[in-house]
Amino acid sequence: MKRRDFIKNMAAGSILLNLNPGLFAQEKTIPDLAVVQGESPSQITREAISALGGMSRFISKGDEVLVKPNIGWDRTPEQAACTNPEIIKTLVELCFEAGAKKVKVMDHPCNPAQRTYVRSGIAEAAKNAGADVPFPNEHKLKKVPLHGQHLKEWEVYRDFLETDKIINVPITKHHSLSRLTLGMKNWLGALGGNRNQLHQSLDYAIVDLAAFFKPVLSFLDAYRILYRNGPQGGRLSDVRLHKTVVAGVDYVAVDRMGAQFMDMSQEELIYLKIANERGLGEVDLEKLKIEKRKI
Amino acid sequence: MKKERSKKYRVIQILRIISQSLFFILFFYLMLQTHFPGKDYIRNVEIFFHFDPLIALTTIIAARAVFASFVFAAFTVILTFVFGRFACGWVCPLGSIHQFFSFIFKKSKLLKPKKIKNKLPTLKYYILILILVGAVFSLNLVGIMDPFSLLYRSFAVAVFPALNHAFSNIIGLMYQAEFYSVADPIAQFSTTLNINPVFAQAFFIGSLFLAVVLLNAYRERFWCRYLCPLGALLGLFSRWNILKLTIDPKKCIECNLCTIHCETQANPFPNDEWKSSECIYCFTCSAICPTNAIQFPLRPGPEKIEKIDLSRRKLILTSLVSVVAAPFFRLSPKSARASEKLIRPPGALPEKQFLEKCVKCGECMKVCPTNAIQPVLTEAGPEGLWTPMLVPEIGYCEYYCSLCTQVCPTGALKELTVPEKTQVKIGTSWINKNRCIPWKFGDPCIVCEEHCPVSPKAIKLIKTEVKTPEGEIKTPLAPVIDTELCIGCGICENKCPVVDKPAIYVTSVGESRSDKNQLKLDLISGSGGIY
Repeated sequence: MKRRDFIKNMAAGSILLNLNPGLFAQEKTIPDLAVVQGESPSQITREAISALGGMSRFISKGDEVLVKPNIGWDRTPEQAACTNPEIIKTLVELCFEAGAKKVKVMDHPCNPAQRTYVRSGIAEAAKNAGADVPFPNEHKLKKVPLHGQHLKEWEVYRDFLETDKIINVPITKHHSLSRLTLGMKNWLGALGGNRNQLHQSLDYAIVDLAAFFKPVLSFLDAYRILYRNGPQGGRLSDVRLHKTVVAGVDYVAVDRMGAQFMDMSQEELIYLKIANERGLGEVDLEKLKIEKRKI
Repeated sequence: MKKERSKKYRVIQILRIISQSLFFILFFYLMLQTHFPGKDYIRNVEIFFHFDPLIALTTIIAARAVFASFVFAAFTVILTFVFGRFACGWVCPLGSIHQFFSFIFKKSKLLKPKKIKNKLPTLKYYILILILVGAVFSLNLVGIMDPFSLLYRSFAVAVFPALNHAFSNIIGLMYQAEFYSVADPIAQFSTTLNINPVFAQAFFIGSLFLAVVLLNAYRERFWCRYLCPLGALLGLFSRWNILKLTIDPKKCIECNLCTIHCETQANPFPNDEWKSSECIYCFTCSAICPTNAIQFPLRPGPEKIEKIDLSRRKLILTSLVSVVAAPFFRLSPKSARASEKLIRPPGALPEKQFLEKCVKCGECMKVCPTNAIQPVLTEAGPEGLWTPMLVPEIGYCEYYCSLCTQVCPTGALKELTVPEKTQVKIGTSWINKNRCIPWKFGDPCIVCEEHCPVSPKAIKLIKTEVKTPEGEIKTPLAPVIDTELCIGCGICENKCPVVDKPAIYVTSVGESRSDKNQLKLDLISGSGGIY
């Protein structure tokens, strides 16, 4: 949670308590992270969002929303290289239910977008839910200052800059340089330019990018986990069924939870450590209020 | 005498133009459909080539094999036997382009038709003989001059990319002017067309096509008249057709308009000099005749006189030239030893058989989802001109894609299912440690490993001790290649951040199709690939 949000919440909370002192008695505060396990990707998605207080907490009426899945690779959903299409579909539906005017689903993939959008199943799922699924369009790249500690500026698709709200929907995958690719690394898909050079300082780039794109919600797909041979896998034996999703506002905390699923501590993921040091989010699971549900 | 033009033939002309337009649209519709269709398999987009008896004949002779798909070519031959070179005037999309531009040049007074009597129309027959005699020596040159190959290749490699470029600039202007609501759907649409934007020989192949079109300013349908080997072949079949031009001598005022405006030098007037082998049944003569004197009554049987005016001497000479020329195509060292850069698309037959079958049409170049397949200039010797090769710096072979093998009209790329294709090795990648970021500077970079599509990955990362230029010892993860696992797809080379000359690159060695171009001694016999 950002400091400003925290102060805002404190203020709002104290007013609410003054008006309705009985509120505290219910003991129903919103958790930092919702971790939901279950058979159906769409059901656990709905459950996780409702555990966080419902989509209307993040999306207001008339909002333009950009949902950013990982559609990086020419792989099918079973291969777990791209975000689960059912999760995307459900999130788009929830956005519309919360009154969103327009929902866009896009990514800048490594393989040709015309293939990854189709073969990941995401384009069809998102369109069925009513979202626009634009291809990354080089004309819409804009060099912007990122105000990072390492990355000063980079080309970003304007879709990410000109939307009201962003929801980040990564998938949990192994990656041989950053160890894991989760939500914070997912922002490489919002960039153009020679992004392959970012790997020379990947952990710092990840943190700078995460601090720049301010998603209202981070939603980690751990329904299928690609635990080796990432980030694109290939064999079904590279995939482990975990049937879980994690939702939260604190994107560092969400990634921390993803690391937990892969049995990694926060020390092993350098970018988590850096992000925590920079005050971007919490990595200590003890300090987080985590609501776990199983359906 | 009553002067009146034929209404009937005017209508037939209009029908011809409609037919030409429809086939033209069909040709380009199928061409635009030649891209990733949203599923793994694509059907029948290459069907035009199967109706081409010239491609059928040369490929059958050159490869000494019969193809079931070429039964359609027999249909064209039968049609020509019965109705003459109808296909040239009513179907051929390249012919339609020539006719259209001839029309434009005439209207703009660049071209003034006149009565011509020369022997040039026979040139195409000699070209045909060169191609056929070449085929006897397994030298398949048909793709250079076959009208479908020429048209398809020119559009796939030059015209479409050029239009795409122009279109993209217009879209760019719209974005600059901030017309987002207009530009967004247009940009989205243009992406779904999947036009491959860059080709190494776009300028060369495009210029040749432009030249062929501009020749129409010199003579109407210059290509069809003098050059087209398919037209020549169909001309040979057309002698016995049932539609014979007849001039009613009572009506004819000998104005010569018919011969002047004849699009192919078929010479309608005088009647007994009309050549059915040159006539493409455009019906311009019968429509333009001021006295309605020209008719095409049904009259089976051969023409009265032997019409194709080939001298026996020249025929023998041409054949001899082909016989002597054929070996010259094979003197290149490329035919003796595999070329490092000649990475053929997956499914490519062994080089010799591949060259016998490839008709240089460019279907594979059009369908490739990454723009990787490029026309060869010199890498495959003279007979390999414009055959396909992968250039990883431009694009790479998409792992779960076998589209190029599905659209190849002659099976030069053997049709493969997607699972079969993933087993094919088209080359092997190598690391240039002098340029690789971890190997050279000790800095992290795993881009090639991350993109390697095979599982387990053919690019491994090993902790290596590197002395940096500053003398510091670093221990980065550096890439090494497992040549057994590498399939040569080239995505590593394509994505390598060392842009100008990638630090990882693919060469053709190890390709499954070749017995000789192999790296390691194969101790377990019989595991030399799928062929």
